[in-house]
Amino acid sequence: MDDELILDVADVSYRYPDAAGDALAGVSLAIRPGELHAVLGPNGSGKTTLLRVALGTLVPRVGRAAILGRPAAAWVPRDLARVAGVVTQREDNLFPQRVRDTVGLGRYARLPRWGPESAADHAAVDRALARCDVQHLASRWVWTLSGGEYQRVRLARALAQEPRLLVLDEPTANLDLRHEMQLFELVRALVERHYLAVLLVTHHVNLAARFADHVLLLAGGRPAGAGTPAAVLSPDAVAQVFDWPVAMTPFDGRPQLTPLRQRKDEP
Amino acid sequence: MKTLALGAVALLALLLAIVLGPAHVALADLATSDIVRSLRLPRAMLAFLVGGALALSGTGLQALVRNPLADPSLLGISGGAGLGAVVAIALHVTNPWTIPLAAFAGALGAMALVYRLGVMGRGGAGLDAATLLLAGVAVGAFAAAVTTAIVSLSDAAQLRNAQLWLWGGLSGASWQTVGLMCAYAPIPILALLASARSLDLLALGEEPARHLGVDVPPLKRRVYVAASLLTAAAVAVSGVIGFVGLVVPHAMRLLWGHRHRPLFPAAFVGGGALLALSDTAARVIVAPRELPVGIVTALVGVPVFVVLLRRWTTS
Amino acid sequence: MTDAVGRIVTLAVPAQRIVSLSPAGTELVFALGAGNRLVGRTTWCDYPPEARAVPSVGDGLSPNIEAVVARRPDLVLLYRSPLDQSAADHLSRLGIPAVVLEQDRLSQLGRAARLVGRLTGRDSAGDSLAAVLAGIVARPAPPAPVRLAFVVWDTPPVVIGGGSYLDELATLAGAVNVFHDLPGASASVALETIAVRDPDVIAMPRDSAGVDAGPPAFLRRPEWQVIRAVRERRVVYLVGSLFGRPTPRAELAIAELERLLKDAKP
Repeated sequence: MDDELILDVADVSYRYPDAAGDALAGVSLAIRPGELHAVLGPNGSGKTTLLRVALGTLVPRVGRAAILGRPAAAWVPRDLARVAGVVTQREDNLFPQRVRDTVGLGRYARLPRWGPESAADHAAVDRALARCDVQHLASRWVWTLSGGEYQRVRLARALAQEPRLLVLDEPTANLDLRHEMQLFELVRALVERHYLAVLLVTHHVNLAARFADHVLLLAGGRPAGAGTPAAVLSPDAVAQVFDWPVAMTPFDGRPQLTPLRQRKDEP
Repeated sequence: MKTLALGAVALLALLLAIVLGPAHVALADLATSDIVRSLRLPRAMLAFLVGGALALSGTGLQALVRNPLADPSLLGISGGAGLGAVVAIALHVTNPWTIPLAAFAGALGAMALVYRLGVMGRGGAGLDAATLLLAGVAVGAFAAAVTTAIVSLSDAAQLRNAQLWLWGGLSGASWQTVGLMCAYAPIPILALLASARSLDLLALGEEPARHLGVDVPPLKRRVYVAASLLTAAAVAVSGVIGFVGLVVPHAMRLLWGHRHRPLFPAAFVGGGALLALSDTAARVIVAPRELPVGIVTALVGVPVFVVLLRRWTTS
Repeated sequence: MTDAVGRIVTLAVPAQRIVSLSPAGTELVFALGAGNRLVGRTTWCDYPPEARAVPSVGDGLSPNIEAVVARRPDLVLLYRSPLDQSAADHLSRLGIPAVVLEQDRLSQLGRAARLVGRLTGRDSAGDSLAAVLAGIVARPAPPAPVRLAFVVWDTPPVVIGGGSYLDELATLAGAVNVFHDLPGASASVALETIAVRDPDVIAMPRDSAGVDAGPPAFLRRPEWQVIRAVRERRVVYLVGSLFGRPTPRAELAIAELERLLKDAKP
């Protein structure tokens, strides 16, 4: 069993310039291959900031973030792209493209500077398309895809990088139930079958609880719990962080949250 | 197939530029004619190089600022060049190299100023596309205002001379100028070609591009400087020629798609062919008089642009 | 008598305070012997030298009405251009007699001389000058003309066409302007057009500073060598104040041009 730490964030604090308080304070995260870590919290709890610090875009004031043992900020973009595949919250593709071409962009970091794409590159793209179950869409124009299909294509692009770590920032925002579940199942399969490490940011508590090995609960930039879903997601902890009373009921061995009604005078 | 067609169009454009002209040169005399060898041939080559440089620059700038309306003249470089040239004209300088050098200096000045202003947006992230465009428009407008002030204070002859220079012309073409362009242009051209793949990724946005492995700040700097240097040289040599840098990239995208590896060379050849044809038209349409070539490209470019606009808005 | 735009201008007494808004007008006033009555000129009016003592009212291209009025003129002479015409109307409305003169060709200069002569009470001077100019214009053209091109700018090449004073002078001096067929006063042409029309001599109008400065550097540029006259260094220079506009010194201009062409001819 490969015990190597892919991502090691130790006790970081970060404050944005001209901000009144810390966006992150005392947060830690350690991810190994074959683990799916979910970062949960309401809007403004520092989830995106944590991603940026973890990937080296921001340098923490206190603590450190390391990828494969090297400080995250010291990684050159080209090298980092061979290790970490990131699916950002949004992307704004100016130009029309076919699915195969947009997934092919993921090979950038592995292509020689001047040389053409090789058979190995095409094969990697095929594999990525297959793993995300979008190979049948390969020659479609990207703008004709549904939201769920497009997300899977973006995931395929990240996989085409042949990364060891997959980072997903709110990947199921704006997706309907079917596509949400498909995406989470897909990511879980990647973790189990291909031994990827996954860092997933979401505010979807229930899906995180069902699929993650490890959960980090954030509130106001501070850790409000870290560990297995069952250990972290107690009704009190969740209600505190999300500022709403909840009931947690087990399903399939995982706690599932049900928000309670506050106004008792209406049916 | 379309590559062959483009190549054929380019060859045809060069051929027409050599064969046609206000002076009648018999086909049989073409090879020996002094007019053809010393005037038409270098002029055709220069038109091709300048047109290609402008189209290439436009393609790069459109990718850099992620705006399909970007045009080399939008970034203030042409304005700076025009100001430099008009100052040289107003000072009655007689050295033939002074006006192009002054124009080039003006262009570089504008480029540096716009760059300085362009990095002011968003702190350490380097060049900000939106700020760059705004700075370019502001610097261009300022240069144009000063140019107009100088022109309004000059006498009628200088006014005419300045106007004619500003509207663009390839009359200064000689093997010397062609040689200079050939010595100068390859470096910025290569810098742009080297950025082709990275620019494909930049189209997704700066953050996604970074996550895919592109070092974005140096890319933006490289593309900005290379595109500006190409434009500066083109304007210094031949005045302000508009629409080539705006329209040719779009026309080429319709045929070659958006990937910059095939698009850059196609844009270069397409721009070169367009300018060579326009220059031939400028020399022939009102012969024995000559139109400034910038007018021909505008007259051709505007309807083409309208057609392209309609395609976008309906697709 | 009417001026160039058909206005009728009469003065009860000859003009005593004249403002001239064109160099040709200034020179005309002095030539008619009324120079001491000139109270305003443009910055471009440099001939005769006495003119420089007269206060300037601006560059005259877009006339400064205030400055003109400040000189308290009873007659203003303007050159025929759109800006000057509206200035003329403006001055008339202010009660100041304004006269628009066409002075692009010798025949027009004669008319102007007669009109200004009447208005300044120097009728006989005006009429005799007009007669002299008419005589010059009526002269038959000398035979075996030298082929000539007037080049005023290099990027792009700009030549003088058939509608201009220089073209007229060329004919009177025994030369033919190879661009006589172009209607306007000036036109931009391709280098190859100049080369193919093959003038024997190239004439370049220069301001007085330029004449002493030697040949302009653009004549050494490789692309200009296609023109035979440039290759063979047959280029002559014309002083702007003498050749730039029709003046009473027309006879002098013709003689000077003849001399230059004779020296330069192959």
